[in-house]
Amino acid sequence: MPDNAPILAVRGFSVAFGANRAVNDVSFDINPGEIVGLTGDSGSGKSTLGLGLLGLVRAPGRILGGSIAIEGTDLLRLPEAERRARRGRQIGLIVQNPRGSLSPLHTVGQQIRSVLRAHLTITRPQAKLRSVDLLRQLGLNDPERRAQAYPHEISGGMAQRVLIAMAMGAGPRVLIADEPTSGLDVTIQAQFLDELSKVSRQAGSAVLLLTQDLGIIANYCDRVLVMEDGRLVAEDRTAHFFAAPQDRYSRRLLSLAQLSPPPPPKTAETLLAVHGLSKAFLLRGSGKRLQAVDRVDLAIGRGETLGLVGESGSGKTTVGRCLLRLIEPDSGKVMFEGRDLARTPLATLRQLRRRLQIVFQDPLDALDPRWTVGRIVSEALERPSVGRIAELLQLVGLDPSTASLRARGLSAGAQQRVSIARAIAADPALIVLDEPTSALTPLARVGIVTLLRSLQREFGMSYLFISHDLNTVEQLSHRVAVMYLGQVVEVGTREQVFNAPLHPYSRALLAAHLAPDTTDRRIDRAPGAALAGEIPSPVDLPVGCYLASRCPNVQEPCRTTPQDLQYLPDGRAVRCAPAAAL
Amino acid sequence: MSESAEIDTALLQADFDAQLARPVSNTLFHVGAAIVALSLLLMVIGPWLTPYDIGRPSDEIMQPPPSLSQVPGLVRQMLAGAPHPAIHWLGTDSAGLDVFSRVLAAPRADVSIAVGANLFSLLVGSLLGLFAGTARPWVGGLTMRISDLVQAFPVFITGMILVTLAGRSNGTIVVTLALLYTPIYIRLTRSEVLTQRHRGFVDAARVLGKSEGWIALHHVLPNALAPAMIQASVTIGFAILMTAGLSFVGAGVRPPTPEWGLMIAAGADGIVQGEWWPSVFPGIAISITVFGYAAFGNGLERRHAR
Repeated sequence: MPDNAPILAVRGFSVAFGANRAVNDVSFDINPGEIVGLTGDSGSGKSTLGLGLLGLVRAPGRILGGSIAIEGTDLLRLPEAERRARRGRQIGLIVQNPRGSLSPLHTVGQQIRSVLRAHLTITRPQAKLRSVDLLRQLGLNDPERRAQAYPHEISGGMAQRVLIAMAMGAGPRVLIADEPTSGLDVTIQAQFLDELSKVSRQAGSAVLLLTQDLGIIANYCDRVLVMEDGRLVAEDRTAHFFAAPQDRYSRRLLSLAQLSPPPPPKTAETLLAVHGLSKAFLLRGSGKRLQAVDRVDLAIGRGETLGLVGESGSGKTTVGRCLLRLIEPDSGKVMFEGRDLARTPLATLRQLRRRLQIVFQDPLDALDPRWTVGRIVSEALERPSVGRIAELLQLVGLDPSTASLRARGLSAGAQQRVSIARAIAADPALIVLDEPTSALTPLARVGIVTLLRSLQREFGMSYLFISHDLNTVEQLSHRVAVMYLGQVVEVGTREQVFNAPLHPYSRALLAAHLAPDTTDRRIDRAPGAALAGEIPSPVDLPVGCYLASRCPNVQEPCRTTPQDLQYLPDGRAVRCAPAAAL
Repeated sequence: MSESAEIDTALLQADFDAQLARPVSNTLFHVGAAIVALSLLLMVIGPWLTPYDIGRPSDEIMQPPPSLSQVPGLVRQMLAGAPHPAIHWLGTDSAGLDVFSRVLAAPRADVSIAVGANLFSLLVGSLLGLFAGTARPWVGGLTMRISDLVQAFPVFITGMILVTLAGRSNGTIVVTLALLYTPIYIRLTRSEVLTQRHRGFVDAARVLGKSEGWIALHHVLPNALAPAMIQASVTIGFAILMTAGLSFVGAGVRPPTPEWGLMIAAGADGIVQGEWWPSVFPGIAISITVFGYAAFGNGLERRHAR
């Protein structure tokens, strides 16, 4: 076979569920060493295609026809036994939910070894050496010990690397990765993708990366395939795709990336000021304290959006809930419209609360399944009327006839719109948006971001926008606060934080951020400002700066002196003495 | 063979099995629903459908049911309207009472006691469960310990004590069974309340300034009731069995009321002499009914989970 021939050649591939063609006449090639991104909205058929490339289909679907040639051999024409032998050896799969894909009864080393022994003729000791070697290549420190760990003993990021080791172990020529980083934090996501691209380039294998995240595509993929309703609607080189998308779906998605920054608020008046907010949870059994929120200071102006970012477990959600007293803070002040909400008796608070509303992450969970949409929205109205409900539904872009439906019958995006309608029905001055777009498809996310911006323009309310998705934060926020282990480590305007972060943690977070922009691709540059090691346990926090054990510019005093938020002349604040001194 | 591929095919197989299993469970659900409907119907009109007087003894003592080979001939005679000797389809008992008539009339006692006891327990249990789930932790804990205590008491002993104290009546059995089942509903409702109180729509209502009591009644309780309602269907079936059991040991329905447990007890002595029919047919009736309620409850649960 000539060297320049594609490793994977798919022709006319179709999968049907009854009369519905989930994958419809799909054809494409992947060349050696190439990473191809496959994107499309939820339900477009990406995952069915990914699984189908291994000759697998979920019941009651079936493969209608076509060919899947790996290095010239059509997988679909082989007998089942032969096809099974080639799965894993020639074509590997990495799925979502790494921990769920590992057996809880076996150590990760055993699981990697069983793959190696199934496909390669090697002895037990060789397999053992090889599996440890694979883990070392994937950047796990102390791989001998890690190989003896059970899946529940390792972090999600490590579990994902074990899955790569299993998928890559037998050296397959084609690797299919289906949303391999969904649910991972940005820093771990970047690490994982760095390793995946490095490993595949070294081996010269072909990678098909299924993802809804355009940032991943822009930063790692050579080419892009776009799926819509089971068909491939676009195929393009990555740079050209982002410069001039050819199809309707991609144009709508990319339109969000080109949104201008939100217009600045009309006044400089402060609406909400938080001082020294702290909250610790007592852990059951051990009697240990988990410091979820640690002396947090925040201020939000009238009509302003403050983006609150940080990785999972950084305490962002707890901050939002403490403001609304859905969680009782241990100490600190929450000044809102001239009152300290943290000290207001609950009876008085009930009246005040309407001025502060919240939209939750899980759109279905936020709506009573037994109630109609109309009743849900009217719950927030003091004098409910059919006309007002219709007006509110129209305001959030829903048809007034939606009022008679129940939440279960709506799409996730529409459910989130109902939550927003309920929140604005109470006429709030501030809405806490707790990851409102995380559970949505990319298109629905575009819709919600656009809606939130237009509602703010119209009614001038403030938002506290809590999210781990830096792209969305950039499109909504006037100012941004970064949290790490319960503390705010940096606050500044969007431009300050995104363009020139000061705190070493913000720098690492933003370095791992994958923007949907092909000008400075991560795959082409040396990864910088990465943090070493693992996040300390919030149960057992260090004495000095919480980042000291991982910080690239750590100085001796950092390890012993707790850091305070220092306010700088340019309006920003940073919890790092060396960075503030610069 | 790749392990990951192997796991995947296993998953696919499980998926496939689920698809296959669905029609079977649907059939069971419909059979169960039919049995439940029939038992409720017989509870209301059963005593009026009986071909013979259920209370008046006759001379035809211990007549066996017709053998299977005789049945077609008897049916033809009946359909032709020709004069025929009195047929006891399921035989007669030692007092000369028609077993078939009494089996038909028994749901009036058995089903109404079981349904009544469960409606009572469901009402009291779900309200107490709501209380235990929303009150301060120690109050909730105390409620649960008391309900444990009630549940730990052997039901037959409770039944006999109550019969001694209050006499043998249908009301006594309803109270006995209600005491037995209320803790089940308390526990189910409480655990569901504990989950529901932290749902997003509950927090949203708090933020809208609604009081905790209003939220408990409008959001938490209605959403917490489903498991208890599903449980009720299964429990009613077992309550029928328990009613028959209590009657069997003499702590239940007063004879000569037609009741399955009493019929089994009355016919039990004859079984050793080969006179099986006065006991076996009511036994079969109990089995079918309990199975029907269980299948119906099981189907409801599957539908709810989907």
